[in-house]
Amino acid sequence: MSEITLVVNGEQRALSVAAETTLLELLRAQCNLTGAKLGCDVGDCGACTVIVDGEAVNACLMLAVQADGRNVVTIEGLAGRARLHPLQEAFEACGSLQCGFCGPGMILSAKALLDAAPDPSAAEIRDALAGNLCRCTGYTKLIEAVQAAGETIRAAATGPRRAAGQE
Amino acid sequence: MPERPRTTVEQHERSQAVDPTVPAAMSLPALRPSAVFPLDVLVPQVRLQTPAVGQRATRPDARLHGLGLTRYIDDMSLPGMLHAKIKRAGVASARIVRVDTSAAEALAGVVAVLTGREIPVNSFGPTFQDQPVLAAERVFHAGDGVAAVAAISEQIAAEALERIVVEYEPLPAVFDPLQALEANAPRVHGGASNVYASKTIRRGDVAYGFAQAARIFEGRYRTQMVEHVPIEPHAAIAEWDPNGRVSIQSSLGRITLGRADLARTLGLPMNRIRLSGTVVGGNFGGKNEITLEPVLALLAKKAGRPVKGVFSRAEEFTASTTRHPFIMDYKTGVTPEGRILAREVRLVLDGGAYCSWSETTLGKACILATGPYRIEHLHVEAMAVYTNKTMTGAMRGFGAPQVCFAYESQMDDIAAALGIDPLELRLRNVFEEGSISPTGQVLQSVVIRKSLEQAAQRFGWREGGR
Repeated sequence: MSEITLVVNGEQRALSVAAETTLLELLRAQCNLTGAKLGCDVGDCGACTVIVDGEAVNACLMLAVQADGRNVVTIEGLAGRARLHPLQEAFEACGSLQCGFCGPGMILSAKALLDAAPDPSAAEIRDALAGNLCRCTGYTKLIEAVQAAGETIRAAATGPRRAAGQE
Repeated sequence: MPERPRTTVEQHERSQAVDPTVPAAMSLPALRPSAVFPLDVLVPQVRLQTPAVGQRATRPDARLHGLGLTRYIDDMSLPGMLHAKIKRAGVASARIVRVDTSAAEALAGVVAVLTGREIPVNSFGPTFQDQPVLAAERVFHAGDGVAAVAAISEQIAAEALERIVVEYEPLPAVFDPLQALEANAPRVHGGASNVYASKTIRRGDVAYGFAQAARIFEGRYRTQMVEHVPIEPHAAIAEWDPNGRVSIQSSLGRITLGRADLARTLGLPMNRIRLSGTVVGGNFGGKNEITLEPVLALLAKKAGRPVKGVFSRAEEFTASTTRHPFIMDYKTGVTPEGRILAREVRLVLDGGAYCSWSETTLGKACILATGPYRIEHLHVEAMAVYTNKTMTGAMRGFGAPQVCFAYESQMDDIAAALGIDPLELRLRNVFEEGSISPTGQVLQSVVIRKSLEQAAQRFGWREGGR
């Protein structure tokens, strides 16, 4: 067993993990954060996507010990007490979540993109979501939601009054 | 950006004001509004879910999905719960000579091991009960389960599977449905033939129709096997109570049918089985029958502890149902103007190792095989054939997409050969109000002509926007 410390959703955690434990198992079994899903266990589907030090990663392919000393954000860390993250709002409003299983990973891939580039082109969005498979929606609604969330985030950055207004 | 919908809170409150038939208690949110997240409107108002066509609607469960709070099977665990894994045969056709589970049982952390011989009634299926829960005597395809293990962790269960020794005596196998039809082909399930379901539809006199035709077109069209690939794999948790009732939470879609299948395989009356369908991470027809549920129930019984099982992605491909590959022979006689006079269709469905929903698929494919066209003389014959491959079953459309691919491909071939615009060829043949379907149904509310014309206009078909 190895002792690791990492920040999960802003909270410092000290955990004891076996060498073979993946970051996904750590989050799901030890931290009780089940938002990241096990879809394929080989890095194909992206249902396990979390953000590590600002980058979207497949938590099923990362060992827990590799997350030692790093900052991890899961879907559970996005909404605040008062409101949803703009991506969560947009995914709900645009009908981008059907069965919902790919949703958390999809939203986190999109968040990593918007954090780095708040005004992405449709091609950049497609590129950022390329590692996340969805079998229900057909992707169009997902791309629309990311664009909508980007608009909300940009409006909040440039004009706080407009952003708070929410029409 | 799409127009932001009116806040659902307002909708909710308005709906309460106008619909006194919804009892007040039932309109309470599932989680209190003071919860950490804005969850105020999570109670779906059944009567009000579709207020009117053209209004924006959001899914009542979308918020929990987006928050990552939806609980799928694999997100749940019960006290003392074990993890199950199923050993897959890896050979397509064989007799099972011997299954030795002693080394697996000896592994620390393994609590229960199950083989096919321990299953009370080792067969199930929605149409024919031709599928073993775990193969006991005979392996019919490589994805067949031959043994199962419940252990305190998934890793130990996986390790235990490798210690199970299964001795096979290979048997002849058949993989091509056309070869499976031949007289000397190996019989997958014995019997006189590998054909396990067939159907014929006849109308008019095709020989007469072809004799009247100016041109006759013949073509063979094939489609491939397709897996549903739900992002959530098949999953279930089984638990027994001290009174001998089993509770199973499952990603299964058809729980009523599943309970009957479970009652049969477990040899239990139905009132001893509680089967709950949970939130499902994608079904698409692939979660319409029991898979690992009886295995988990028996492992849980042997272990005296709850058991969870989740298919690996590989098992999704090898051990769950798929879409039928079709081999489709189409023969169509037309007038010089492209009116279809006669059509003869022969469909061979590669059914894989088990029937599953093949009969339903076969029926639907047959009815739809000649397309949405007025054809006076037609003959459709279809058969589903056993092969030693992954079983085929229900998947979105039940055979409709396969035949659509064939008849529309042939329509394009005919249009090109006759020099008629492909849209025009279809408009000359499509169903009209009151047309009669191949099985004699008088069709009403037929809008196909209008649909085609509107679609063509919207994407500029006539202007060359093809």
